[in-house]
Amino acid sequence: MTTAVDRSARTASLITPLIAGRPGGGTATATPAAPPHASDPHTLVLRERALTARRAVIDMAATPTGCHLGGSLSVTDILIAALDRTADDPDSEVVLSKGHAAAGLYAALHATGILTADPVPHYGAASHHFTGHPGPSVEGVRFPTGSLGHGAPYALGWALSRRLSGRLGLGIAVLGDGELQEGLVWETFQVAAAQRVSNLVVVVDRNGGQNDGMVADISPQPQLAARFEAFGFEVAEVDGHDVGALRALLDPDRADADRPLAVVADTVKGKGLRPVEGKAASHYVTIDAARAAAWKRIVR
Amino acid sequence: MTLAGRAAYRDELTQIAEYDPRILCLEADLGGKGHPFAVNHPDRFFNVGIAEGAMVDMAAGLAEGGYRPFVSTFAPFAVLRAAESMKLALGYLGAGITVVAPYAGVSGGWFGTTHHCLEDFAVVRAIPGVTVAAPYGEAEMRAVVRRAAVTGEPHYIRTGRNAAPLSLPWVGPEPPVVNWDVHGAEPDRTCLVSVGEVGTELCLAVRRSLPALPHAHLCYLDQPHLERAAAELADHYDRFVVVEEHRQAGGIASALALLLPGREVSSVNAGESWPVHGGSHEEVLDELGLNEAAVWAALAPHEVPPHGAPAAPQDKEDTE
Repeated sequence: MTTAVDRSARTASLITPLIAGRPGGGTATATPAAPPHASDPHTLVLRERALTARRAVIDMAATPTGCHLGGSLSVTDILIAALDRTADDPDSEVVLSKGHAAAGLYAALHATGILTADPVPHYGAASHHFTGHPGPSVEGVRFPTGSLGHGAPYALGWALSRRLSGRLGLGIAVLGDGELQEGLVWETFQVAAAQRVSNLVVVVDRNGGQNDGMVADISPQPQLAARFEAFGFEVAEVDGHDVGALRALLDPDRADADRPLAVVADTVKGKGLRPVEGKAASHYVTIDAARAAAWKRIVR
Repeated sequence: MTLAGRAAYRDELTQIAEYDPRILCLEADLGGKGHPFAVNHPDRFFNVGIAEGAMVDMAAGLAEGGYRPFVSTFAPFAVLRAAESMKLALGYLGAGITVVAPYAGVSGGWFGTTHHCLEDFAVVRAIPGVTVAAPYGEAEMRAVVRRAAVTGEPHYIRTGRNAAPLSLPWVGPEPPVVNWDVHGAEPDRTCLVSVGEVGTELCLAVRRSLPALPHAHLCYLDQPHLERAAAELADHYDRFVVVEEHRQAGGIASALALLLPGREVSSVNAGESWPVHGGSHEEVLDELGLNEAAVWAALAPHEVPPHGAPAAPQDKEDTE
């Protein structure tokens, strides 16, 4: 576990440039230049971990129930980075608010070593807890999610509890961009900003897709980063598959921050699997064992 | 002089927080100015603004973080607007959240339909694991709040607006499953069963006219408590009239009817119409047909009102 002093020391160097990059409040976002974690050996470990998780997700798509493949693959790198951040820190919590990416969560938890049981043989199966949307009976899952929007306020409450306890710790909510159509999340963002819960981190897995098609066709979200900033958040835009950049944003304990942080992470639905990358149809997929074997060979 | 339910809640919670640092108080812009908890424990008081769903969900995060959050907003906004948050946080997760809901029933009077809630028992009682209480008077409210704080279990506490009745006496640290009010009562009579502030007020009024009628007051109304209450009721009486400020569907009478097979259970409730007119709490109740006369009508033909008691309503003749 990284000590509180270490994280506090890194806060200024990593987050300040994001704020300074928008003089006068014009441009809402900036991406951290040359994150120090990019070539870090641990980043390479996490990339390998993400590949392991993606293969597990493909295996879950080959179970009788199938799974939310596209959104699980888009969020994989975010979850791997976030869970690595919190794995040895009992005061920090990751909440996958886009609970339909349960397969991605189970795979990431298992790859990280938090979930000891292999979820693949039991995904969606009777008498097992690995349901299509995660609940607290699964090792490593604290809050039930799946009905969209609730994960953000859970994480907000967790973050506030750490602040009240005088402890350093983050509440990290991972949301989908389609999920931002839920009113509850904006209600939550309003409260978070008003209460200045600066140890809340909202990561948006902006993969551009949702159940019935593309977000841009159904309910577009122009100037998303600016929206967050208008709500009173610090904002960063990042490549959601750059584990090093994600680590750089999630690592600080934010003890010196005075606003919550929104990380708008651009991702690709079905990431790593060229046959389905960027396709709305990858939202929910059921495949056979032969296809799973083939896809696991080509996945990146 | 006693305090109204919501005032008693605020005062009791403020006192408990003096010695229990886990207690938090959350309001959604309906706590009023000068809230005693905010005055005495400003670092643990949060007015989150008009954000009922987020408030209940936030409370789940706070509870998981080791705190005992009490959240309060009007009953319609807590139970109906934030229904899913209550299901997931208090029910599925079992988070130690207490929701305190004033303005239940039609206690808002002239505030109108949006501010009434005649459906809360139906919703909250359907969520397993939530202790449901409708305390009558200051002493009961204080006892229920203490129970919620001590146990750290999910609670829903219904109360009214400004009514400040005197609680029925009881023996012991907390209200019993059935609080028997039977001084002067006779065996083999119809037993009044009271729920909530209005139900209890009406049963007490009927008993003042006819003390021979036994009265069983219920404070806790979730299914496990009701099962115990039904067993106790069945040991003593065969006919019951349940009085509650709630719709018939999902109300306490229908639950007790299922728990008391072979017994006669009648319901006096707020009916199925919409309370669309203004007026005082009592005037709106009258418009809904929830009054002493309705209780006497339900008691007939076994029990007859003495001379001077409000007459049971007569069926209107068809004049067309």
